This record gives sequence, C-alpha cells and structure tokens, in this order.
Amino acid sequence: MTNPASMRPAMGALLQSCRAGAHIRPSSLPSSSLNPSLQHTAAISTTSSLLKRHNYKGARDNSDKNKTRGESAIRQTGTRWKLSVSDDPLPQPVKPEHIPAQVTDPNHGLWDFFFDRKTVAQPPTEDAKHGRGWMVEELRQKSWDDLHRLWWVCVKERNRIATANWERTKSQLGYGKAEATARDVEVRRTMRAIKHVLTERFYTWEDAVKLAETDPEVNLTGNGEAYTPTEYLEEQHLSEEEPVPEEEEGAKKEAGAATLDPAALPESKTQGEAPRL
Amino acid sequence: MQPTRVLQGLRYRKLRLTTKDVNKGFYKGSGTGTVGRHTKHGGFVIEWEKVRSYVCPPLEGFKLTPFVAATVPKVYGQFSDAQGPRNPETYLARWKSENALD
Repeated sequence: MTNPASMRPAMGALLQSCRAGAHIRPSSLPSSSLNPSLQHTAAISTTSSLLKRHNYKGARDNSDKNKTRGESAIRQTGTRWKLSVSDDPLPQPVKPEHIPAQVTDPNHGLWDFFFDRKTVAQPPTEDAKHGRGWMVEELRQKSWDDLHRLWWVCVKERNRIATANWERTKSQLGYGKAEATARDVEVRRTMRAIKHVLTERFYTWEDAVKLAETDPEVNLTGNGEAYTPTEYLEEQHLSEEEPVPEEEEGAKKEAGAATLDPAALPESKTQGEAPRL
Repeated sequence: MQPTRVLQGLRYRKLRLTTKDVNKGFYKGSGTGTVGRHTKHGGFVIEWEKVRSYVCPPLEGFKLTPFVAATVPKVYGQFSDAQGPRNPETYLARWKSENALD
C-alpha cells in the first residue's frame, strides 16, 4: 500500500534540511512509517517556515488541519507522534486454546430441560415414541402423593417439549413440531385427568362427610374412634342391658375387634409399575 | 393509529370492556387474584400469605411417566348407579372397609 502523502515528510523540506546540515535518520524514509515497531515518523530538525510550500508574505495557510490524518486502528498505522505510553507493553488477549474450559455440574437440575445435552431437541422419530395419556379410571386408584409427583413429572416433560420447540425454530433443525405437539397433547390429557380425579375426590369427600354426620357408626367429634361397626355397637347395647363387670366388657371388645380382622378386609387395588417407555 | 372501520362508530360500544378501555376509575382484573392490598398513600403492600408458591415433591425413585403404554386397553369405570364415582355412599363404605380401623 502506498504511503499517504501526509505521512511522508515533505521532499522540499528534506532537501532544505540537507542543505542546512540537519541529520535525517533513515527511518524518516516513507517505507518504514508503516512498520509497527517504528510507530512514529522521524523528527525533522528544521524550521516550520522551511516546511511551508508557500513561504512569501501573506501566503495562504496550507497546513493540514487534521492532526490525526492517516491514523488507522484497523490498518495498525500507529500514532503520528510518540506518546508517553508508546513504549508500555500492551496486554495481550488470551488465546482461545489457553482459555480454561467452563466447569459445569453434570447433575445440575437445569439439564432436565433438555432431551439431549448436545442438541436440546430430539429427532421426531424419538419424539413419537410415547403412549397415550392416563385415563381418569386409572388415576382414581392413585394416592395423593403419586398424583402430586406425576403432575410435576408432566410439568417437567412439557418444559422439555417447549424448550425443544424453541430450539428447533431458533437453530432451524427442521421438522418435528407436529410430533412434539402430539406428545404435548398426551401429557396435557394426563394433567387434565389428574385435576379431574382430585376435584372429584374432594367433592365426593365433602358429600361423604355430610352423609357421615347422619351415620350412627361414624363419630366425627374427634374424641374416640371415628368408626365403630354396627356389630360392635349391638354387643355394647346387649352389655348395657345386662350389667357386666369391666373385664368381660374388655374381653367382648377384643372379641368384637377380632371379628373384624384387618387382614381379611378387601385390599385396595394398586396398579403395578408401568413399563418405562 | 385508528381502529379498523368495522370497530369505529357505535359498534365498539356494544363490545365488552377490556382493561384498556375507559379513562380512569375502571379496573378490570385478569383472573390472577391479588397478592396484597393498596395503602392509602398509593403504595402496595404484599401479603405473603396470599402469595402462591408451588412445591415440587422429590421425584427420586418415582417410576410413573406421563404416558401409558398403548397396548394397555382403555377400561372405563363401572359403577352401580348414575352418580357413579361421585356417590358418597360408595366413598363412605370404602373408607369404612379400608381406612377407618387401625
């Protein structure tokens, strides 16, 4: 690249200074001014009047008003004059190879937002591998704890699907929205069924409490047993008619309890573990 | 900016008010409920008892997934009467047989 004319010392001035006996270092030559190690132009020891082109009385001011003409950071020209910090070494940026790798926790909870740690979204063939949502009848058998945890499993699955959708559009991964939507629909069906079961259970419980208030077997006051079966009540009624000493009453109570063996009660149906898909 | 010609004139008056309508004094909520109360100086005080917090239970060792295998047949509940699952007598009887006695 040719030197801009402003960077070269004026040739007339050079000749003048030669005649005047000034010493001009070789570094004042134009080719060296682009050398980054010689960041400034050479000093010319001559008078400013000799540097002027038009030197007669009343001559127009031909000076270059731009003191930073030719300075370019992009082209790394350096400054026109030496600065007080010109000799200070600049800090060098760390090369990418030497930057230490970011340490991440492989067990961090946020990883649960991704199907795949590298690609975030999973291919639609994998997305399509799901069953149907839970039915209300299947969930009616589940306890509160199971339903609560299943709800949050569904929430996390929906978060994963939503993150994958966002990443799929952002990174233009391609098709897969339809399969993701179908998967999301089944998860939402499960969540709807959970809400249905819990609401139904609560309303039925409210009605059952109202009914139990009129039930002689049930004691809702909180003092004593909540449930005393009729067989036991009949025995107590008989014992009230014939005054019986306390030990016999206690024996009869045990007999009454023994007739209702908890082991013989119908077991509540619990669903076996669902095969993991 | 103007609304479309369809909404200009008297048509807009027949539509339901939104939160953006009317100058001042008209407040329309959006169904999210309140989390505190306003102070007489114009501020707002949060009542933390009203603030919702969602608790996620520990999910370690939980085996259920959001899906059921497609091979599992869909079995609808069978009930003795029209009330079906909402029958309080059934609920009470089941409670007595399963849960009432220790």
